[in-house]
Amino acid sequence: MLNIDSVSKTFFPHTVNERRALVNVNLELKEGDFVTVIGSNGAGKSTLLNTVAGRIHQDTGVVSLDGTDVSRLKEHQRAAKVGRVFQDPMAGTAPNLSIEENLSLADRRGRPRGLSRGVTKAKRDRFAEALKQLELGLEGRLKTKVGLLSGGQRQALSLLMATYSDPRVLLLDEHTAALDPQRAELVTRLTRSVVEDKGLTTLMVTHNMVQALEVGNRLIMMHEGRIILDVGAEQKAQMTPQDLLAEFGKLKGAVVDDKTLLQ
Amino acid sequence: MITAFELGLIYAIMALGVYLTFRILNFPDLTVDGSFTSGAATAAILITNEVDPFLATAAAFVVGSLAGMITGLLHTKGNINGLLAGILTMIGLYSINLRIMDGANVPLLGQDTVISMMRGFTGVGWTSVAVLAAVALIFKLIMDWYLQTDNGLALRATGDNEQMISSFAVSTDRQKIIGLMLSNGLVGVAGAVVAQHQGFADIGMGIGLILVGLASVIVGQAIFGSRSVIQATLAVILGAVVYRLAIQLALNVGLNPNDMKLMSAVLVVAALLLPQWKGFSKLSLRRKSSSPLAEAAAPLTTSDAHLSKTSAEKGA
Repeated sequence: MLNIDSVSKTFFPHTVNERRALVNVNLELKEGDFVTVIGSNGAGKSTLLNTVAGRIHQDTGVVSLDGTDVSRLKEHQRAAKVGRVFQDPMAGTAPNLSIEENLSLADRRGRPRGLSRGVTKAKRDRFAEALKQLELGLEGRLKTKVGLLSGGQRQALSLLMATYSDPRVLLLDEHTAALDPQRAELVTRLTRSVVEDKGLTTLMVTHNMVQALEVGNRLIMMHEGRIILDVGAEQKAQMTPQDLLAEFGKLKGAVVDDKTLLQ
Repeated sequence: MITAFELGLIYAIMALGVYLTFRILNFPDLTVDGSFTSGAATAAILITNEVDPFLATAAAFVVGSLAGMITGLLHTKGNINGLLAGILTMIGLYSINLRIMDGANVPLLGQDTVISMMRGFTGVGWTSVAVLAAVALIFKLIMDWYLQTDNGLALRATGDNEQMISSFAVSTDRQKIIGLMLSNGLVGVAGAVVAQHQGFADIGMGIGLILVGLASVIVGQAIFGSRSVIQATLAVILGAVVYRLAIQLALNVGLNPNDMKLMSAVLVVAALLLPQWKGFSKLSLRRKSSSPLAEAAAPLTTSDAHLSKTSAEKGA
């Protein structure tokens, strides 16, 4: 349902800083696929996600969603079908708006935003119900400004918002990397349950190899703009982080950073 | 004194417009210097041509919002810096305003205006102040309502976190243009009513108006708070009145009217500098929150100023 077909992207072409972020990448996600993406810094993981989201437009190749070519659509146009959670917990929510107002914005994804009331009694009840799943007690703080929440709470809320109106594709860009281990654990758990419940087609970038193996039904490894490893569910279940490190080791010039090793 | 209250309440409509761009969209919009005069010129020329004054005032809204749309298009589709986009429209409007009025001013003496009609009922006194207060309040309530709608929420989120709201399928370009149109529409209406209040439209009446708007918003929110939209819009209206009273007071103690613009500039500069002063941040620390003045002025200071302020707070 999500097709990335021969997509290439080069930053600063024809300069000394030229960087080939994506080189002829092909990737096809089936309905309900949950793919984790790993790779060293600068491997093109984030560029891949940004290309799907429409924040970055590829130089060549086609991105299509449900059989429709979306390559020319802008970010906000694609967002009608694509949900995102960013690495920065501050990025996915509007700090000066209340929790219920933020959820109301998420609720209208892909539908016209006119002059009807943003938060009604009926919606508020629905929002409270949804917030209960987070088990953070936010259902009792609907009118609290989101800026007053902690990073973990905001990221959990971001995840809820990104998935609230059932997007066709969910993009997660190292969304647990900026959280402390406990909160990261919580957000990972929430991610698994929401993706499972809604059967969302998901692309998740992570630095954490354990997480990359535990979560999802498929794993891809990227290096210098290419997909160098593509592992299905059965094979993935047998793999250990050591196997992944060994794969990294095979690469000439690949540097596994400290952060990756420590995890 | 009555006149100061009346003018303050009329200018409050303009201040609500400035609040919309400056606070909600985080966009200091200089178009208002031009669109205020455009609104005044449009209404004045229509009134002298026997058009119903209420209709003429409504036309001022349309002309003002067109000016806002131009700034919005320059900024979003033309990728021109917001301040420059506003300046370009403002300068262009100067010529257009001269064209609308076919000269530098249009007298409204002896014409039926919204103000003369109001005077027919109320005269000059506290009743006329009450009527204008009610009008300002109606504009406030409409704005409160709008900012709670789906579209209004999208507008607020556009000013608050652009990355987030475009990931929820909102065109931030479109929301910015809508915001600039509404804002300048309100400014145009204020211009129209001011012209009818003073009995003429004049090419220079909008000069420096952005400072009046900013001063009203910053002073109002610093004194009366901005916890919620409802409180913030009320604070803006009261801020406009306080500002007008302060000007009146300064004139009464013998300030030269020619110095008024300098006064407004100094007032805004003071509002922007005070929160950066270490002693001031100590004062506000004691109240265990960031000072309302600093918050109100935040969109106009550079990020470096915030940094130095935070480090000052840490040091204290």
